[in-house]
Amino acid sequence: MQRSGHRRIPQVDVRKLDHKYCEFVLSNTDASAANALRRVMLAEVPTIAIDLVEIEINTTVLNDEFIAHRLGLIPLVSHAVHGMKSVFEGADEEDFMEVELSLSVRCMSEGTLDVTSNDFLLDPLHPEVHPIGYVPPGQPVDRSRVEPGILIVKMRRGQELALRAVARKGIGRDHAKWSPVATAVFQYMPGVMINRALMDTLTEAQKKDLCASDPSHMLEYNDVTQQVEVHNVEAYHYDGECLAKAVEMKKEGVLVIKQLQDKFIFRVEGTGVLPAQDVVATAMDVLIAKLRNLQEALPQDDEAG
Amino acid sequence: MVALDVGAKLHESGKLTAPIKSIQDKYELLPAFLKVRGLVRQHIDSFNYFINQEIKKIVRAKGNEKVTCDSDPNFYLKYTNVFVGAPSHLDDYVVKDITPQQCRLRDMTYSAPITVDLEYTRGKEIVIKKGGRNPGEGAVLIGNLPLMLRSDRCVLKGKNEKQLAKLGECPLDPGGYFVVKGAEKVVLIQEQLSNNRIIIDTDKNGAVTASVTSSTHERKTKTNMVINKGRICLRHNTFQEDLNILVVLRAMGCQSDAEAMLHIGCEPAFEPLLAATLQDARQPGQVGPQRATQLAALEWIGSKVKQSSQSRGFGGGQRRAGSSTRSRTDEARDLLANVIVCHIPCPRYDFQEKVIYLAEMVRRMLLAMVDPRHIDDRDYYGNKRLELAGGLLALLFEDLFKRMNQELRKLAEKDLAKRQSNFDAAKNIRPEIISLGMESAISSGNWTIKRFRMERKGVSQVLSRLSFIAAIGMMTRISSQFEKTRKVSGPRALQPSQWGMLCPADTPEGESCGLVKNLALMTHVTTNDEEAPLAELALQLGVQPAAAVGPAERHARGMALVLLNGSIVGVHRNAPALVDAFRRLRRAGLVGEFVSVTLDGPTVHIASDGGRVCRPLIICDAGVPRVTAVHTAKLRAGDWGFRDLLREGLVEYLDVNEENNALVAMYESACGPATTHLEIEPFTLLGVVAGLIPYPHHNQSPRNTYQCAMGKQAMGNVAYNQLNRMDTLLYLLTYPQKPLLTTKTIELVNFDKLGAGQNATVAVMSYSGYDIEDAIVMNKASLDRGFGRCIVLRKHSAVVKKYQNRTVDRIVSPSQAGLDKRRRNREGLLDTDGFCSPGEVASPNDILVNRQTPLNTKDVVPGMGHGDAALKDGDYKPSPLAWKGPPGQNVVVDKVLLTNNEEGHTVIKVLLRHTRRPEVGDKFSSRHGQKGVVGTIVQQADMPFSERGICPDLIMNPHGFPSRMTVGKMLELLGAKAAVCSGRLHYGTAFGEGAGLADNVGSISETLIQHGFSYSGKDTVTSGIGGAPLEALIFMGPVYYQKLKHMVLDKMHARARGPRVVLTRQPTEGRSRDGGLRLGEMERDCLIGYGASMLLLERLMISSDQFEVHVCTHCGLMGYYDARLKVAVCPSTKSPDHMASMKLPYACKLLFQELQSMNIVPRLHLAEA
Repeated sequence: MQRSGHRRIPQVDVRKLDHKYCEFVLSNTDASAANALRRVMLAEVPTIAIDLVEIEINTTVLNDEFIAHRLGLIPLVSHAVHGMKSVFEGADEEDFMEVELSLSVRCMSEGTLDVTSNDFLLDPLHPEVHPIGYVPPGQPVDRSRVEPGILIVKMRRGQELALRAVARKGIGRDHAKWSPVATAVFQYMPGVMINRALMDTLTEAQKKDLCASDPSHMLEYNDVTQQVEVHNVEAYHYDGECLAKAVEMKKEGVLVIKQLQDKFIFRVEGTGVLPAQDVVATAMDVLIAKLRNLQEALPQDDEAG
Repeated sequence: MVALDVGAKLHESGKLTAPIKSIQDKYELLPAFLKVRGLVRQHIDSFNYFINQEIKKIVRAKGNEKVTCDSDPNFYLKYTNVFVGAPSHLDDYVVKDITPQQCRLRDMTYSAPITVDLEYTRGKEIVIKKGGRNPGEGAVLIGNLPLMLRSDRCVLKGKNEKQLAKLGECPLDPGGYFVVKGAEKVVLIQEQLSNNRIIIDTDKNGAVTASVTSSTHERKTKTNMVINKGRICLRHNTFQEDLNILVVLRAMGCQSDAEAMLHIGCEPAFEPLLAATLQDARQPGQVGPQRATQLAALEWIGSKVKQSSQSRGFGGGQRRAGSSTRSRTDEARDLLANVIVCHIPCPRYDFQEKVIYLAEMVRRMLLAMVDPRHIDDRDYYGNKRLELAGGLLALLFEDLFKRMNQELRKLAEKDLAKRQSNFDAAKNIRPEIISLGMESAISSGNWTIKRFRMERKGVSQVLSRLSFIAAIGMMTRISSQFEKTRKVSGPRALQPSQWGMLCPADTPEGESCGLVKNLALMTHVTTNDEEAPLAELALQLGVQPAAAVGPAERHARGMALVLLNGSIVGVHRNAPALVDAFRRLRRAGLVGEFVSVTLDGPTVHIASDGGRVCRPLIICDAGVPRVTAVHTAKLRAGDWGFRDLLREGLVEYLDVNEENNALVAMYESACGPATTHLEIEPFTLLGVVAGLIPYPHHNQSPRNTYQCAMGKQAMGNVAYNQLNRMDTLLYLLTYPQKPLLTTKTIELVNFDKLGAGQNATVAVMSYSGYDIEDAIVMNKASLDRGFGRCIVLRKHSAVVKKYQNRTVDRIVSPSQAGLDKRRRNREGLLDTDGFCSPGEVASPNDILVNRQTPLNTKDVVPGMGHGDAALKDGDYKPSPLAWKGPPGQNVVVDKVLLTNNEEGHTVIKVLLRHTRRPEVGDKFSSRHGQKGVVGTIVQQADMPFSERGICPDLIMNPHGFPSRMTVGKMLELLGAKAAVCSGRLHYGTAFGEGAGLADNVGSISETLIQHGFSYSGKDTVTSGIGGAPLEALIFMGPVYYQKLKHMVLDKMHARARGPRVVLTRQPTEGRSRDGGLRLGEMERDCLIGYGASMLLLERLMISSDQFEVHVCTHCGLMGYYDARLKVAVCPSTKSPDHMASMKLPYACKLLFQELQSMNIVPRLHLAEA
């Protein structure tokens, strides 16, 4: 496979990582690879979401489709997704394809009753598939600590909702409810080059002006060294304000700002369905699988030629 | 003038030269105003005036009060009082109270009984019937009056939110409409030229004319004054020709021409203009000096009366009897007294006031001839009057009331002619005349008033419930009487006098552009105010009756003519003082707040008539506004209402005419010593619908007009009770939002509570090419998450009819066995009771209500009515209510309603629901007249994204901006972006930047910078497809987008084969009939031009329309095939010889046959055979 003179080895440098958020720098690769990773995270990492709703009783103000749509968008914790098969993959009866949740709430009190994701009854076979932040009904809830659950519908006295919901595996390309991330973006690392020689021709006031001209405060004037320093390069958002200022000062070229083509800051914000780390890792797996697929499909002329 | 003088002195002395402090929250006057007046107050006020006052006046009017009859001179029936009761309805002979929501659901009319107190003779005795069972109710019912919602008698009046909810009513619903037969009907405001006012105009030759439309309760006539061959003449359609005005004045009692001239005025400039008139009046052939006497003049005029009008008579019903014996003189005198300018009273043929009035008309004409500036402008809004529901209903009621009395008289006449009749008039009153007349007029919109020979169509319309704004917009609509077809721009143009009264933006495009208008936010339409006290007041303020002053003195310099509602009251020596006194009395609350006093040259106009448009303004004394921060603070605290401001004389209503005497400052900074008034808020010059547009003052004006049309088509919420309504068609948005960039108007009209749109993140960039020509690109993930998702609810109803032979339709449970599979499939939705059950999914042709109709509905069925076993199953045929939708469209049964209508029939209403997500071709629009259809739907991964991870919901092409110049939309985007960042709703009220009612760009940009955005609203964006950064910065932020009701699903249509019309065998027309798409002449020409004519022949004739006929080669007629002989025969000889067969289009054959039916014989000469 090694054709060109040197082979780039992409690097991942994780900066921040918690359950819902992951920030890392991907370097030594190009935009197409970075974008492919982003696209896969958005659209092709499988998760579990409610896909089929059978409504038994619905006397609430919201109609059946409305509630079904809302249920679909409730994020379900999807660790089990790896063992599951989607409707398209499933072949025989034994395949683990569906998780069945149910909900049955009736408002007996005066005032409004909030039906939330906490009112779900889980599938006894798969209790690990549950809405995020799930507190089983009946269990004492510490309201101050726990999130109140995701609101499905509000009820008044006498209204009732009973339904059966089937959750399935799917990907974000089919419906956004299967997308594991709220956002997954990358940013080109800005490359700021200061022409020191030209910069030295500026007066102190001009330097300060130059720094102040950038609304993202990327540049900073160091009082000690009396130099303009790059302070927070990532904050820069290419509005061209400081460059325009430089032109205004007739010092064009004092700053050169480029987007580095091989260094990307990724920010992945999960929905809580999967840990952010998992999202990235699965995305890599999916990407690799795709490439392998492609490789297999291509005519193997490597050996021939 | 005193207050003014004091103010002026203060100004000079320098006390006021210090900078004027701006009134804090001057805007607070507006919510206070709307709290009192509401958005549709004009409708409700006019209706209240009708039911409280005018109806009493009508019943007590001279011609209406008493019913007498010729056959018994002792008989009379007198109405002593009239009442409009509480809304009720007769249900199985029991009076039940009703609510509007019940009426809507049960297809009933929300109406209240009109009851009267009576005094009448029965035989020899006098019967007095007074008072009903309840207070405020009369003894005898004369009809039912449809009630306006939220009027004084309505059950909703004065109810709070909770009580309204209990009645099933939306607290935000403005009322002001009627519920007739279950449909909500609005009586549109009608605009017309004002009555009883002299209008100087020019005819098509440029000659000056004067005209007056006189309107009284009995009569409506138009009197014209024209120049005919140099003479000033009176023209009226009861006369054959134009009458010299001097002769008319002579006939009215002017002793000489000199006296008449004195009345007109003797200015030197008039002399040459009157010469021809004078000369003509003395011509021996016509009316020489020998006819100078009043009698002679009257006789001459009598000879000019049109024959038709002579025979018809004009004195009303009662006087008609003696008309044949009257002389010409009497007739002429009658005409002059009662028909010509009939609004000027003429007690006992004393013509003096009329002479003065006619002379004034001539004088105004002469003035206009001398100086064309005196010519009136017909389009000037001070000359217009608006007719509202109350006024229109009063006209209708009086007409129906007269008709009812006539019917009563007819009955009395017939009955009393018999000896010993004991005619009880009260029992012979037929209330259905008024009930049905009112109901049918409102429900059909045809206003027919016999006595004015008025026939208007489309007066009432169904209240549009497409969105909340559409409903409110309809209540403020004004339709003009002007014909739409006439090609004149004058009435359509925006008139400067409409400033502040009518919305300059809200008018439809196309044929009714400028003719249909809308009220501005603070406009009020007046109701009639009593005239007599005003006339009395005028006299006390020094007005001398015109007749008491010599004609010469009347026209003297410094003397001002005082007119009250167009009639002359008298003259006054010091007009400014009179006007000032009147205004001070009004501000003190001693004269009605809507009475206007205008000084117009040497004339004082006092107006108290109904239908004038007016608006409140802050009074200024020499440029110092009377409203101060103290007052606004009281308003804000809720201690004061708008009424208090009026009472204290801080604010007053000015109508269009009085505005001419005012100098109104727009802002306090513009106040000068001459300023008399200050605007409350500039943005009130826009209407309700235009008030939704943020920053409209930054847009090109037609864009605002487009948005006004589109705002009414936007889907959203209709009312709080929207899910309990059963409208024929209802569009709802699943997740409506309030706009991030709002306006004060939005808050005032509660659009923020019943929004119609969603805040979409818009990227202004080109993308994919599917966004050309205003198309928009949508993000699929946004649609998945519910953007633009809507619910369409459609009502289907069935009635269980009762027939004459006492048979009844029935609803049966679905048949289990014995039916073919197809039929059984159609019955899948039905419950055992024969109705579809809610929540079921219906596919096309599914039965919703399993109804059966008796085969025999005419003849008497034995045993019917004594138990229902009389008919067997076989005596019924199925007549189910089925859903006929396009194949593949599955809807859900939302609700089934069973109820009884007024006739006692059972009505079944089925509501079908369809939830739709946006698809390619659905129409969306921002609030700036920028509509577009969805061009394509794109995966979120393919959408461009900013570094923060913001990904647009939709992409709009930047080419939409340069030519449309909708800067307001850019500001909206910018402001909404700042609103999102800062968590505070931003405002874009019209003209509001100065007053702090709109955020300006500077502060918005600062907010954006604070939150790390570019001040310009542009973002660096990376392409989602390739991952490359886009070179340009992209203008991106939230914009409020509306989903419009036009959706492809309702419009798309294609057909390969399908139904045909039986007669012509051509494909049917139109989408609803699954019709064909016409290959028209031009398309045909294209194919011929291309050289594919054989294709045409093959497609249009051989493969589709071909027909074989038998033609007799001898006579050339088409024969027929004789089935017995099994040969074709000639139609004339019946012989099978010489028959040939040929092929021709069926349409051609039909043409020949149709020609034959009209006695034209087309003969076919065949070349071969």
